[in-house]
Amino acid sequence: MNPLLAQFLAEAADLLSQVDEGLLELERDPSDPELVNEVFRAAHTFKGSSGLFDFPELTRLTHAAEDLLDAVRSGKLSLDSGMTDDLLAAFDLIRGWLAHVTTHERLPATAGPAGQSLIVKLRGPLGGEQATVNPDVAAALAGPVIDRAPDWLALFDPEWLEKTATWLSSTSATMRFVRFTPDQGCFFRAEDPLHLVSQVPALAKLDLIQPFEWPPAEEYDEYACLIGFALATRAARGELDYLFRYVPDQIEIVELNGDAIHRYVAGEEPPQPRADEAVVAAVAQSHTENLELARDAHAILAAAQRSLALEGSVSGVRLSAVARSVAAAAAALGVPVDTADPDVETLKAQVANLLTEVRPTPADAPPTPPPPPPAERAPVDRGRADDPGGQVGTRILKVDQEKVDHLMELVGELNVAKNGLTFLADAAEEEFGSRVLSRRIKDQYSGLHRIAEELQAAVMDVRMLPLSVAFSRFPRLIRDLSRRLGKTVELVTEGEDTMADKDVIEALGDPLVHLVRNSLDHGIETSADREVAGKPPAARITLTAVADGDAVIVEIADDGRGIDPAKVKHKAYEKGLISEEELETLTDSDAVDLVFRPGFSTADQVSDLSGRGVGMDAVRASVEKLGGAVTMRSQLGRGTSTRLRLPLSMAVTQVMVVSVAGQRFGIPVDLVVETVRVPSAELGRVLHQDVVVLRGEVVPVIDLARALDMPWTPDPAADRAILIVSMHGQRVGLLVEQFHREVDVILKPMEGLLAYADEFSGTALLGDGLVLLVLNMKEVLSLAARAQ
Amino acid sequence: MPLELSETTATLSDVVTVDEVEPLVAWLRITSKPKVNLRRCNHLHTGALQALLLFQPRITSSPTDAFLATQVLPLLRGSSGGPVLPESEPP
Repeated sequence: MNPLLAQFLAEAADLLSQVDEGLLELERDPSDPELVNEVFRAAHTFKGSSGLFDFPELTRLTHAAEDLLDAVRSGKLSLDSGMTDDLLAAFDLIRGWLAHVTTHERLPATAGPAGQSLIVKLRGPLGGEQATVNPDVAAALAGPVIDRAPDWLALFDPEWLEKTATWLSSTSATMRFVRFTPDQGCFFRAEDPLHLVSQVPALAKLDLIQPFEWPPAEEYDEYACLIGFALATRAARGELDYLFRYVPDQIEIVELNGDAIHRYVAGEEPPQPRADEAVVAAVAQSHTENLELARDAHAILAAAQRSLALEGSVSGVRLSAVARSVAAAAAALGVPVDTADPDVETLKAQVANLLTEVRPTPADAPPTPPPPPPAERAPVDRGRADDPGGQVGTRILKVDQEKVDHLMELVGELNVAKNGLTFLADAAEEEFGSRVLSRRIKDQYSGLHRIAEELQAAVMDVRMLPLSVAFSRFPRLIRDLSRRLGKTVELVTEGEDTMADKDVIEALGDPLVHLVRNSLDHGIETSADREVAGKPPAARITLTAVADGDAVIVEIADDGRGIDPAKVKHKAYEKGLISEEELETLTDSDAVDLVFRPGFSTADQVSDLSGRGVGMDAVRASVEKLGGAVTMRSQLGRGTSTRLRLPLSMAVTQVMVVSVAGQRFGIPVDLVVETVRVPSAELGRVLHQDVVVLRGEVVPVIDLARALDMPWTPDPAADRAILIVSMHGQRVGLLVEQFHREVDVILKPMEGLLAYADEFSGTALLGDGLVLLVLNMKEVLSLAARAQ
Repeated sequence: MPLELSETTATLSDVVTVDEVEPLVAWLRITSKPKVNLRRCNHLHTGALQALLLFQPRITSSPTDAFLATQVLPLLRGSSGGPVLPESEPP
């Protein structure tokens, strides 16, 4: 199914229950303006979104309901129980239709007549329409009937009218005149009235309906449609009805011959009051009987009979709803019945009658049993959810984000409590000497562990969002910025349905905006420059997302001018970021990496978009805060691509536990390269820096205890435990006291009095109740550098 | 690009959609004696038509599109009750 339709159905289920609830409350307290408003808004939303799909009957019916509610809202009408019945019946009918749409992706064939009878009822109190539109009359109307000339004929040029009238008289032909008055908000529904008009075949004359007074230029709202059209055409009535089928309420069609126009021009005829031609035409159109329709009608009657037979106490709203569906079905079969004042017995009789009457009709059709309405056997009075309408869309819960966060926290607590069991098992063995009990606790633990893991995965899954959420703002951003910069840029997004945790998605927003801005501002050349360089004038920015194990990789690539490594090196040297020696020796790819250094900005001119020197290092810092990494590759003249690697989820962090001077600390496992034990004699010293030689590579070693200001003297005889971590591609060894295991922890940020302590990225609770401080390696390393 | 704006002339080409309405109106607001070239325009969004009606820029060249040329352009030239444009001077 079209995702848009699926979403509409899911939303529709919500809206329907909202309307139902509101209407029932309204019936109890019809004077509450807030309630009316609520129902009106729901109906309005419904109408608006239904217009996206090819369900004109649905749009028309919701429109009628909306009009009635609007009249109630504005105080023109007071809601009585009859109207409430009609409204409820209308939304019941819609529910039925949508259930049909959910399975078949189209409205049932009976939708037209069934909806029409309700529309007539709904419009009744508004006085806009006769309550008894007889299909026979409507059918007769569909023939060439000459209407009286409406007053808006004055919009046309009188000379032209005169000429046309003479021509029509002498050829005894007719013409259709259409007045099209779009409503103000139609642009927001992606309607383009002029486009509709341009599609009118055989358009003879087009004129404008201008507003009485144009607003002053400064107050003019370009998104409000103020104009309308009057047109004359030789297109057939059916063509016009079809063309304007989504806006039947905005058009008025009259059929005029020469005499009618002559009379009008001569001023002999008083203007005719506005007739609702469109609706009459709609009835005529829907009256076309076909086999499928008859079969659907038959099915409805059968269902009605069953529900009447099943339920002794059908009453009130429900009964009138059944009655209406019977009436609609009967009308569709061309045997109108009067169900204005239904009671169970007469209705039963009528249904039985109708069924015998129509049975011969579908005889020539294969006797396929009609698809049973999903809930037709459900007891009728059990509540709205059991309506014959059935299920609309798939059930979607809207859950407050906080509740999901809370759930996640609870999962974390469960993990901690679960981890406590392993300590208990150890205690059972060591303190109480019961190996059996220890084993049983461990068994229990493994069962609990499995459930907790699944629970955690399930909760994480709930928090997953597609990357399209993060990408969605870029089409607009790129359009605006490229226009401002006078560059032509095309955006390509790929893999936007890759999923990641909502925290990651949210945190990704700013770095991505930064990178895209950088690309637009510095990377991409103007069209003229591009043409000189032999590239297509329109530049291209590609946003790609791919899942990679437990990480997601987001890449921003452009085909712009790329980064000039020599220029970057020079700039960095000028700013004192690198030494002269580095200027000579840095490889090109390392040079590109210089743009991530704090205080670096390549643009010669600071623009208002980016290039204040707070750029790329901020990106790298915020991505690293998420536990991710940024790398950049660039080819001079060919483009730049920046790759962000982010964990799929930030909720759970894997840390390696080590102890230093008797205290345990956590280090994110992502950073850990290896753990080694070296004899203390192999620890060398180069220029005040402890080093260790590993596989021919000199790795500096930092005494973690000293860096953290914790006095500790290692046992000179014992081997040294060294944890090798990798930061920005460089290896650093950390001298620790002891290695422990890896654990999954829920990291809580440092808050309150400890918030200043940058060397820790957060705290986590271990299974034995111990609070683990997790190190922020970047800060720890700079701390160590300062201590030396 | 359906909409190209220069100092005094806006060139509308291909299909002018609702997206172009806002920049067009913004341009019309700030431009004195605006001129609009419709030659290569195939369709005007109603919002754009409305803006042209309100701001009454001078239409420097008529569209080649048949519908726009025969039906819409006369409306812009003010033959239907709107304020009548002064006779346009040669471009």
